[in-house]
Order: sequence, then C-alpha cells, then structure tokens
Amino acid sequence: MFDQDNHEREAKRRFSRRTLLVGAGQMAGLSVLGWRLFQLQVVNHGRYAPLADENRISLQALAPKRGRILDRNGLVLADNEEHFRATLTPGLAGDVAHILSLFRRIVPLQHDELEKLVRRAKKQSRNTSILIATDLSFEQVAEINLFAPRLPGIATQTAWRRKYRQGPATGHVVGYVGNVERVGLDDDAVMRLPGMKTGKSGIEAGMEKQLRGQGGTIKIEVDAHGHAVRDLESQEPKEGRDVVLTIDAALQKRILDRLMRERRASCVVLDVTSGEVVVMASVPGFDPGDVAEGISNESWQRLVNAEDKPLLNRAIAGQYPPGSTFKLVTALAALQKGYADPDEHISCQGTYDLADHSYRCWKRTGHGAVGFRQAVKESCDVYFYEMAKRLGIDALAEMARKLGLGMVYPCGLPQQKAGVIPDGDWKRAQTNTSWLGGETVLAGIGQGYVLATPLQLAVMTARVATGRAVVPALERGGQQGRAFEFPALDIDERNLQAVRDAMVAAVNEDGGTGVKAALGDAQSIVAGKTGTSQVSQASSDSAQDALTWEERDHALFVAFVPASKPRFAISAIIEHGGGGGATAAPFVRDCIEAVLEAFPQHGQQG
Amino acid sequence: MGYISGRSMTMTMGEKLWRVHWPVLIVISAIAALGTAALYSVAGGSFQPWAERHTLRFLLSVSLVIVMAVVRTEVWLKLAYPVYVIALLALALVPLVGVEALGARRWIGVGMMSFQPSEIMKIALIVALARYYQWLPADQVSRPQWVLAAFAMIAVPVVLTLRQPDLGTALMLSAVGLVMMFLAGTSLLYFGSVVAAAAAAMPLGWSHLHDYQRRRMEIFFDPERDPLGAGYHIAQSKIAIGSGGAWGKGFMQGTQSQLDFVPEKHTDFIVTMLGEEWGFAGLMFLLSLYALALTFMFLMAMRCQNIFARLVIAGTATTLFIYVFINVAMVTGLVPVVGIPLPLVSYGGTSMITLMAGLGLAMSGYVHGRDASQRDEISRSW
Repeated sequence: MFDQDNHEREAKRRFSRRTLLVGAGQMAGLSVLGWRLFQLQVVNHGRYAPLADENRISLQALAPKRGRILDRNGLVLADNEEHFRATLTPGLAGDVAHILSLFRRIVPLQHDELEKLVRRAKKQSRNTSILIATDLSFEQVAEINLFAPRLPGIATQTAWRRKYRQGPATGHVVGYVGNVERVGLDDDAVMRLPGMKTGKSGIEAGMEKQLRGQGGTIKIEVDAHGHAVRDLESQEPKEGRDVVLTIDAALQKRILDRLMRERRASCVVLDVTSGEVVVMASVPGFDPGDVAEGISNESWQRLVNAEDKPLLNRAIAGQYPPGSTFKLVTALAALQKGYADPDEHISCQGTYDLADHSYRCWKRTGHGAVGFRQAVKESCDVYFYEMAKRLGIDALAEMARKLGLGMVYPCGLPQQKAGVIPDGDWKRAQTNTSWLGGETVLAGIGQGYVLATPLQLAVMTARVATGRAVVPALERGGQQGRAFEFPALDIDERNLQAVRDAMVAAVNEDGGTGVKAALGDAQSIVAGKTGTSQVSQASSDSAQDALTWEERDHALFVAFVPASKPRFAISAIIEHGGGGGATAAPFVRDCIEAVLEAFPQHGQQG
Repeated sequence: MGYISGRSMTMTMGEKLWRVHWPVLIVISAIAALGTAALYSVAGGSFQPWAERHTLRFLLSVSLVIVMAVVRTEVWLKLAYPVYVIALLALALVPLVGVEALGARRWIGVGMMSFQPSEIMKIALIVALARYYQWLPADQVSRPQWVLAAFAMIAVPVVLTLRQPDLGTALMLSAVGLVMMFLAGTSLLYFGSVVAAAAAAMPLGWSHLHDYQRRRMEIFFDPERDPLGAGYHIAQSKIAIGSGGAWGKGFMQGTQSQLDFVPEKHTDFIVTMLGEEWGFAGLMFLLSLYALALTFMFLMAMRCQNIFARLVIAGTATTLFIYVFINVAMVTGLVPVVGIPLPLVSYGGTSMITLMAGLGLAMSGYVHGRDASQRDEISRSW
C-alpha cells in the first residue's frame, strides 16, 4: 500500500517534470516561428515589399446580364436598361476626398453625398470599389476618361438597371430585385460587386438562379495608378436565361381594371388543361420599378405598413376562409364515401342542432326538403352540416388535400402560403385541445379553421372540372400542350359529374346562388359556386348594407368554363364585398368574358 | 486505481462554474476575435460570408466548453473507450462509404450532415489514452506489453488516416499520442528507439507516400521546380507576409492577400493576410496569445490530481500547439504544405469544434479533478 502511494507520488512528480519539458519545447517551437517571421518581415522586408508592388495583376468579377421576364405572348414584363456608371477603388485613389472633389467638377455631387462616399470608402477594404455615380451621360463618360490620369481609382462601366415595363399590372407576379444583403458561402463572386441586385420577391426571387446567369472573371495587368495596361485572360459572364411566364399581361390588365373597383381583392385564372396560370391579380398593387431602384426608406415603410398591404400578393399569400366554395370538397367527399345519396332529401328549417348548439343556414326561413343538386345550387348550409357530421373531419381533410388545398405548389413563386386544412392532429399541435364535433360542421361549409388562398381555390376548381391532379405553373414551356397529362385523382367520374352538374345549376338555373355569373344565351355555359365567408359576428345578425366595410363578409366565387369541356378555372375573392353571389359572381362574369375574348377559340359552346 | 476524487459528487453548479479556468477562455476568445477581424478584412470589409459565421460558431463552441466542463469527469471517463471505438469504426468505413472530395475520401455523410471521422479521432485518441493511463497502475507504465498496447492505440488510427490519404491528421495523431505517452511516464529508452527506427524507415516511407505528397515535399526542397503551382503559392505567401514589414500595411489595407494572389486566404493561408496587414507586431501578438493559452493549460494540467484530467488537458494543449506550429511554419515556407488551418482564426468549423471539445473535456477534468490542497502537493514535487 505504501509502495503504491510512493509510485503515485513519483508518477505525479514525473508528470510535472515532463510537462514542463513539453511546455518548454512548445515555447521553443513558437519562438522558431517568431524568428522566421522576424526574418521575413523585418530583416527581408526590403526584398519583399517591391515584389509585392510588382504584383499588379487584378482579378475582377464581371456581372452577368440578368435574363428578361416575358409574358405568354412575348410582351416584356422585366428587362434591363443600359446606363453608364462610375466606381472608385479607394486603394488606387489615395486621397479619396480629393479625387472625389475633382470628379465633382464633371459629375455634380451634393456635399453630403460626397461625405457619405468618403465615409463608405473608409469603412470598406481599399481594394473593393464603391459605386459613386449612375446614369452618366455619354459626355460625362468621355470627360472622365479624358481626365483619367488625374482621377486615379475612378473607372466607368456599362451597367444594367432593371426595368419593369408593365408596372403595377404584373408587379406581384414578377416581383422585384434589390441590393444583395447576404452573401452565401457558395455564392458567385459577382454577388459582392457594387450595385449587384438579386430577386427579392415574386418570379425575380423564385427563379433567381435561371435569371441571374453566371459571373465571369477578367485578369487585368494594372499600372501603379490602377489603370489597366492589358487584359491577360478573361472568362465571359454567362447571361441569365429569359423566363417566359404563362401570364397574359394584357388580359391581366383588363381584369385588374375591373377589379380595381374593389379595395382589396384577388383573382386567379388557370388553364385547367396545362395548369398554366393565365391571370394572377391582386388589388391593391405596387410598381416594382419604384421598389427596385433605391426606394427611400420612408416610402418603403409607407408601402410595408399601408393598411391595405399593397406588397402582399393576395393570390398566393392571402389566406381566407373559403366559405361555401369549400362545399365542393364536402359534396365530393360525401358522394365518394357514400354518405350522400342524390335521392335522399334532408330537411332544412333554417337551423341545425348539434350537441346543445344551433347552427344557422344562411336562409333563415329554411330550404325545406333539399336533395344533393339543390343543396349545391342553393348552397344550403344545413345539408352540408349534416354531410360534414357524417363524414367526420378526417375524411373531409383528406378530400380537401386531394383537391390541392393546404399545400404550396412548386411553381417558382416564393411567399406562397399553405392555408389551413384542419384535422385532429393539427388542432392538438396548435392549441393542445382535442377536436370538437361542432368544428367539423363548421369546416364542412368552409368556416372555422379552414383557410385557403385564391390560387388554391382555382386549383381546387380545376381539379373538380378535370378530375385530375392539376398543378399550377407559371413558367411557359414544359407543361404547355400536355393536355390531361396530369394523373387522375381517383375520384369516381359519376360523382365528379354530379358536382359539376350542380355547379352548372347554381349559375344557370333560377334560384341558383351564382346566377349573376351566367353569360349571355349564345355563349359558353359557366359552372360555378358562390362563397360568402363570415369575418365578423355582426354580419350574421344584420343586412350587409347596414354594416361597416370591415364587418362585411368576404365575397368569393369559383368557376370553370366552358362547362361541357372545361378549359379555364377562375377563383375570385373580394374582401368585405358582401355576398359571393351579389359581388363576386358579377365580377367573375366580366372576368370570364374577358378571358374568352382573349382566347376566342373557346368562346363558343362546342 | 480507476477512481477519481469524490469531491466532484458534492459540488454545486455555482461551485463548478467558479472553478472553471476563465482566463484561458478569455485568451481563446481574444484569439477568435482576431479571427473575426481577419475574416472581415478578407471579405473586403464585410461580415459576409465568413466573419459572421465564424463568430456565431465560436460563441456556440464556448457554450459547448462550459456545458462539457460542468459534466462530471466520470461521465467522460466512461465514454472514452466507446467513443474511441466508434471513431475507429468510422475511420475504417471511410474508404468504403466515404464521400470523395479533392481526391481524398475523408468525409462520411449521415443524413443531412457529413463529418470527418479523422476529426473525431483527434479527440477520441486523447481521451482513450488518458483513460488507459488512468487505469494502468503507475509502476506498470513502462512494461513492454503496456507500452505496446498504447502504441497500438495510436498506430491503428494513424494507419487508417494515412490510407485516406490525410497526412496532416496522421502526423498530428502520432505527435499528440507520443507526447501523451511521454507525459504518462513511459521510459525514455522507448522514445530513443522509436526515433532510431523512424530514421531507418524514412526511405521506405518515401516510397509509400502518395504522388501529391511526394510532389509537395520535392517542391518544398526545391520551389523552382513548380513556380506556378504549390511553389508559387508559397512564394506569393512569403511576399505577402514579408511586404507587411514590422507594423503592417494596416487593417484592410493589404494588396496581396486581398487581390487573390494567395489561395485559401480565408482558411489555411489566413496568416498571409494577417502578416501583410498587421505586420510582425500583429503576428507576434497573436503568437503570444497562443503561448499564453498553452501556458495556462499546462498549469491547469499540473494542478490536477488524477491522471485522466492531466493527460486530457496536456493532450488538448499539444493539439493546439501542433495546429499553430504546422500552419504558421507551412505558410512561411518552413515545412511543406499540408492542409492544416490556424486554429480559432481560419474559417472552417471542424478544427474549431475539435479544439473546443478538447478544451471542454480538459475543463471538466480541471473543474472536478483538483483540490485546494493540490497546490501544496505541486510545490512539493518541484
């Protein structure tokens, strides 16, 4: 035992001894490094300094030209305008303030602008150039180049500025570019160039990769003043690819003109055969050109904080209770599961009782005995309360997802919202409470937790119209002309036909809720469904006219046309528009007329 | 033999935190802060893309150190062998399932993440050896069979990393392992014979080097052989550092490192930028910080009672030293180019995580493995 302790103590002493030795060895190692650095930096400094000065080959990144964005007919939505600009490299300029004061004689600069530039130059690496002036005239460029020897560090270049040719009409879809805020590790070196822009929203952001192209590089030998002596080798930048959208800008403009009568509204028109989004409109809008080219912070804040949120693309990011348009989901699910029998009639006395609670039908006096077709056509709430109760929330949610609700689509648009298709799991995750039967009943008429975007409602309608898993597309090509190549939805064709038939009745038969959407006699037959989603408690007790704007219901309408051979699906929402049949249906009628005029081959009933 | 001081059982969290060696953490933080400044400058005066990520990663690793420090050393002791075995298996798997990058297979992908088993081995070898000597009675340390066992623990991962091929890591593992064997008290006779054997095996080893490794060696001894390849890089690196002079060209005022003459300027060659912009003075300040950190760590090791803690601390310190030494020596042309970053300064997560995890282990040993009375004992051993 004593022996063991002795060994321990000896081991410890030996450890300390050897640790000191190793430590000393490492200090010696660091000293060797110190000695080496002393040699390089102090003793031989005189030899290396001129060598460094002779190294005057500068590697510059060349920005690629951004691809254009076109509409389906080749109309330019976004392209680039050439302009001249001047940059300054502080490292070559020496006295930045002095050089800028000389530069000012050619290109006027405000005094505070000049000071701002001097401060920026100090903050940055002296080898990174900064942008000092844009939109130079040809004369100014010539003059700068003439006086180049007296303006070391200043260079002129051709640059491009993004132009949004259609202004607010396609603002939401096209989006806008802005300054690069974050540079990723794997990003192209051009991202660090002064004045470089990247997509911030809409297609500009969603298809950034295709639009941006690839930066090039150029190796230049420069003289002591930084002026290029000769180009050594260069790799041309690869221009970005043009993106042709499925949008018909002229049609979109027409529809927007009509929609602009409303304060906040949105409309989507989808080609059901290809999934192409022909119109995506959102009101109010904004001009992306204002945002892209250095908007002042004040105006930006005003845009962001505006009450009606003009920057919001309501078609993909506005989430609304779909109201009765959701009855298409309930109807199909009920037929599919065998809960709805077209011959069965359910009695509607204006209210529906479930577990101590009474749910109202929009028609206070009741519809009497209603069958399936009449329930859809007249949008009887009681009928669908009963169907929802029979189905249960899971079957309802399953059909909603099958019809494309509750998801975002890979169509190149960021900022899409998924909406909400609630079920038991969802509610538990959100509120940690279990699902209630009454919530199923409300979900059955598209109220309660259910939320959907106009784009989703258009997809839902397209899927009902075709029985296929239509997915929206915004870029033309790829999907075009591949009619009915979307996979079938695995829904019984007879059931689909029953729903479509009821939708035709809703628009074209007396007593239908959507009669205001019907076209003239010789024209195509429209199939549609109204929706009125309640947003305030007050609206259930008073007439819409007696309410303030904010209390009024949202008006919705979904439709497809022509009913016999569907080509277009349309969804529209008018925020606080009152009733779907009263406000949204007439708008959709005008909208369909415009669409059929733009695509005349589908105007006649085949 | 395998027990560790019972005091750790009764310590409160506050006491543990009080016992953390804060000065070494402060020095390490100062080094990392210099790294942030350097990466800011390399990016042309921007926190993007490197400086910001570097800082975040460092802050995360510091919290890792503190969390690891308050975990009882017994836990690490128990994990030592399993971690070593797992690292060994992963290393053995690399040639089979690894991802090839730059002509070498070093990475293994696990789901979304990919990791380098050789990095884990750097820590695993330290804890496993420390665990081994904690178990081995002091009078047995120099017995041939136990020396051989320790040697095998080092040799197996070294051979596996050499096969990847990753010469830098293999050298580092052998050096750290041998230093730990030395500190544990292995008789000097063994080291003498190893040196002799190594000298004898040199020609044999040359023939087993990979082409690129041999080329680097040749270029090192004769830079003119490849003025535009690796030799060019070293020449440019020397020009950049030398042109910095005694006081440097000033923060963000470098021309060489910023103008892309120097490759890997934000990772392995960051010293060139530091040397050019901050001069001899700046680099000496940085080296002094490393020296101070090393000194603190060796003092920590000597204050610890149990062998495990002592060896883990000393092993981590040695790892830090080797990183710094090889990196600076490589960039200044003292040793051939092997891809080793400047720890806590170069951009890149793995070396920082490795070192900080080692520091966390070391700190746990330091927090739990010493008593107040320890001080007297050390002074007696002088």
